[in-house]
Amino acid sequence: MAVTHDVPQRLEELVSTAHRIRQAIESVIEGKSDAVRLTLTVLLAEGHLLIEDVPGVGKTMLAKALARSIDCPVRRVQFTPDLLPSDITGVSAYNQQTREFEFKPGPVFANIVVGDEINRASPKTQSALLECMEEHQVTVDGVTYHLESPFMVIATQNPIEMEGTYPLPEAQRDRFTARVAMGYPEPAAELEMLDVHGGTPPLDKLEPVATTAEVRALIEAVRGVYVSQPVKKYAIDLAVATRHSPDLRLGASPRSTLQLVRAARAHAALSGRDYVIPDDLQDLAVPVLAHRLLPSVEAQGQRRLPEQVVGDLVRRVPVPETRA
Amino acid sequence: MRLSVAAAVATFCAAILLHPLFEGGAWFWGSLGAVLTVLVASAISGRLSLPTWAAGLVSLATLGVYLTASFAGDKAWALFVPTKGSAAELLKLLATGWDDIQRFAAPVPGDNPGIALLTTGGVGIIAIAVDLLAARMRRAALAGLPMLALATVPATILLEPIAWWAFIIAALGFTGLLIADGRERVGHWGRAVLVRRTRAATTPSPGESADTRGLRLSGKRIGFAAIAIAVVVPAFLPPLEPVSFFSFGVGGQGTGGRGNMIQIPNPVTNMKGQLTLPEKRTVLTYTNNDDVPRYLRIYSLDIFDGDQFGLTKPKGAPENRTDAGPLPPPPGLGGGVETVNAVTDIKISEEVENLAFLPLPYPPREVRADGDWRADVSTLMVFSTRDSASGLEYQVATSEPQPTPDQLRALQPPQQPNVEARYLRLPEDFPADLRDLAYEQTKGAETQYDAALKLQEFFTKTGNFTYDLRTQGSSTSALRDFLLSSKVGYCEQFASAMAVLARAIGIPARVAVGYTGGDKVGDRWTVGTDDSHSWPELYFEGVGWLPFEPTPAGSAGQGSARVPEYARPQPTPTATSSSPTPGATARGEELPPGQQPGRNPREIDDREARLGGAGLPAEEPTPLIAKIGIGVAILLLLLLIPAAIRQITRSRRVRALGWKVSAPSDELTARVIAGSHPSVAAAWAELDDILYDYGMAREPSETPRALARRLTQRYEFDAESAAAMTSIAATVERVLFARDPGVVGPLGKDLRKVRRALAATLSRGRRIRAALLPPSTLRRLRSMGEGVLDGFDRLETLRFRRSATR
Repeated sequence: MAVTHDVPQRLEELVSTAHRIRQAIESVIEGKSDAVRLTLTVLLAEGHLLIEDVPGVGKTMLAKALARSIDCPVRRVQFTPDLLPSDITGVSAYNQQTREFEFKPGPVFANIVVGDEINRASPKTQSALLECMEEHQVTVDGVTYHLESPFMVIATQNPIEMEGTYPLPEAQRDRFTARVAMGYPEPAAELEMLDVHGGTPPLDKLEPVATTAEVRALIEAVRGVYVSQPVKKYAIDLAVATRHSPDLRLGASPRSTLQLVRAARAHAALSGRDYVIPDDLQDLAVPVLAHRLLPSVEAQGQRRLPEQVVGDLVRRVPVPETRA
Repeated sequence: MRLSVAAAVATFCAAILLHPLFEGGAWFWGSLGAVLTVLVASAISGRLSLPTWAAGLVSLATLGVYLTASFAGDKAWALFVPTKGSAAELLKLLATGWDDIQRFAAPVPGDNPGIALLTTGGVGIIAIAVDLLAARMRRAALAGLPMLALATVPATILLEPIAWWAFIIAALGFTGLLIADGRERVGHWGRAVLVRRTRAATTPSPGESADTRGLRLSGKRIGFAAIAIAVVVPAFLPPLEPVSFFSFGVGGQGTGGRGNMIQIPNPVTNMKGQLTLPEKRTVLTYTNNDDVPRYLRIYSLDIFDGDQFGLTKPKGAPENRTDAGPLPPPPGLGGGVETVNAVTDIKISEEVENLAFLPLPYPPREVRADGDWRADVSTLMVFSTRDSASGLEYQVATSEPQPTPDQLRALQPPQQPNVEARYLRLPEDFPADLRDLAYEQTKGAETQYDAALKLQEFFTKTGNFTYDLRTQGSSTSALRDFLLSSKVGYCEQFASAMAVLARAIGIPARVAVGYTGGDKVGDRWTVGTDDSHSWPELYFEGVGWLPFEPTPAGSAGQGSARVPEYARPQPTPTATSSSPTPGATARGEELPPGQQPGRNPREIDDREARLGGAGLPAEEPTPLIAKIGIGVAILLLLLLIPAAIRQITRSRRVRALGWKVSAPSDELTARVIAGSHPSVAAAWAELDDILYDYGMAREPSETPRALARRLTQRYEFDAESAAAMTSIAATVERVLFARDPGVVGPLGKDLRKVRRALAATLSRGRRIRAALLPPSTLRRLRSMGEGVLDGFDRLETLRFRRSATR
């Protein structure tokens, strides 16, 4: 890899840029630094993020704040049951002046796409978006349009209102690099939120702190982060452990191993390291793996969530190269 | 069905333990047939779902039919249906078999129909019991009892230890039965609890309803480990008796050959002990029809191992029992040699204990003695595996060859001596100077007989040898010493030396141990402990084994020794050479009876009494308290071994910390070694061991960074120690995972700081315990044990693979 030579230098750059973005987002979202960091990690890992939580905790705000702090095109789609795939990807419309069909790009043609309440759309529409996520391209009427890099989908999902929704099937959840739950803010953070954002909408004050080109360079730098063989093996061990766990009906896919390592690269880079350590994987295992797994009937009976199962596995699987 | 098969296999495996009781393989096939018969019966009754009692009856009936067909087929209807006649025949056979078993000692002939019937029937009944217990009542563990009964038969009858391989086969059979039972039982449970030990996580179970592989595996592991321990551990334990449970390991090795059915005390030691008894005791008395004293031989020592002569295990075939007629002919005795027939009545004293061999004049032709006495064909020793000669009265007929010197000279040494090569064998490192001595002394001898005479003369006359009981030891150097320099010894040295020199010049020779003819007291010849003697026997083709007498006789030698007629050098007037001991040169019949003992018995007794202490120094018994002290000390030393190992490991690592390249001691990674950062490896391994010793062991999933965090927080490190800990963790992390670890500083100081900080959190007792009994060493031992278990697992997979390819 040609990029490896100036990795340390780029890293410094990366850390400072990332720090700026974090600060910008955190000026809007109070007391959610973990979620913010994870969001950045996913962005740098060229992944997509699924934010899942109850209404009103700032899911959309997080997505918007990220989008706003990077100077890049952002599109927001509110998913509803009557949303059509073409509403996402775009349509070919007949231009009477030129007498030709002309492609009208949909909202997916942006660097950051915020899909609000993705589980409200029909599966057909969901899968249209998901194809874009995986392939980074849109095919309409036999013509393929490439999406620009960076391309990140931030989808929010509300787990409470299940009526009239189409929860994402496992295969589609697997496309998301990580899932994050916002959680309620701390009382102090909530109070500050009231103080600061009581009057004006906070997003209005947010100025972009990074450009698309900068983010692309950061992504390039993350690709150069070194992953040693033992760490790779550790990632596989973790995935294999989920496949063999009696608490899980469906284990982690090879794609998830890939995304775990990718995210770990970004995580390491954000910490200013040019190599991945097992701690990166441990920190990311729950957000990256848990949403793809299906608990077994026994685990459901014991009300054990996949998050807990993954947490237990992380505590059990020996880290590489150090003795048990 | 699986259980029935397992029960049959287990029974048959246990029956293999009977093998040393029999000669020939008839019992084996018979027992196999019986076990198979019972298996068939069990399968039938299992198919018909018969109740337990009925199944037992069916098995018994089938066994009856099998026994009838095999042993009384001609009296049965259609060769196998039992009739009155066949039943009577079986009963008769049983009675004969019972008698035979009373009469014979092991090994009994296996093709004796009575004994075969008893064996087959017994194995069959055991098979029925095992089958009922295991397959019908589902009490597989209890089924071990009948099998144990089977195993006790050889254990009680034979002194010989059970062969370890037979034990392993029997134990494996029983383990197989238990495993089969367990599988059957667990098979009804549903999903099995997996107990397979793996490093990462449990193995998945395929969606079978009942997968018992895990259980079977751990069962087999336990079984294999138990059997291995049962076989190996006794080999390292000092046995309570000199007979170890299995025929290898400590104990069991004696001069008389190991694993003997008969207990043979070391004949040489025994003789020496008798000779040095402070007071003479009567061993036996005898009369014979021609009133001539004869040497009475007990043992014939044929193996010279370089140190001393020993005895090969005598073989007593049933057909060589003394009550089965005349003994085998003496080896080598041809026609044309005059023999003197004599009948000797011998009475062994009641005081004699543990004598399993009969003192007999050579060569015995026929022995009449009560009990199971058998002759060894090659040496004509007569012995018993179950009877003792104590107080025994018996009669022996002998045909003593009386060759004339001319006859002996006329004998041509055969190209291929008709005796076993062992009578000529000398150790490979036999000293050349002794061989030279033998040739030198026999120079000019034209025949083997002349050479033998010259050898005897060398000992009695020309060699200036002196008789003295004080001589100790019997190693090659002692033999050399005796022959070349000291020239002082007693009958053992004389006999061994002459036999060895004879072998050196190609005359087959062996050493006889027994008694001289003794003294005439009243009308009986009396042989006492001081008549214990040893003499060489040399083999001449056509005449057989002839005794020679190199030991000086009379007051300055063995009091009652005598030189045989043929062995007296006649051409030269050497009779005078024996003049100081006229008793030795004269045949006993020429002497006034009773004169020899009158000569100087007291003197000999005094000498022996005086020498007794020097001859066999009695061991001072160690006081009990000292024994306990030694034991405790050894125990303490043993307990300190882990601490010592820990110290060695630590100092090795400390050396490695000083940047000297040395192999990291344990599990640290190939990567670390390849990255040539032994100092980091050593520091990390040492930290790991310190934590383990202090009871703060690192979790397997704990990364260096997480470990540093935990230690710093939980044990409230001060800034310095925390920095040291972080530095170690960061360095290890870099070395392990970074593309280029960069400059790695020495960690010794940091490690010391962390160690001190950790130790400060412990109580003094805990610290001392960690130093004296470091758990990290024990952990290493445990991982070694796990390696052994993994070895068993590999055995397992080997077998699976083979059965898969089949």
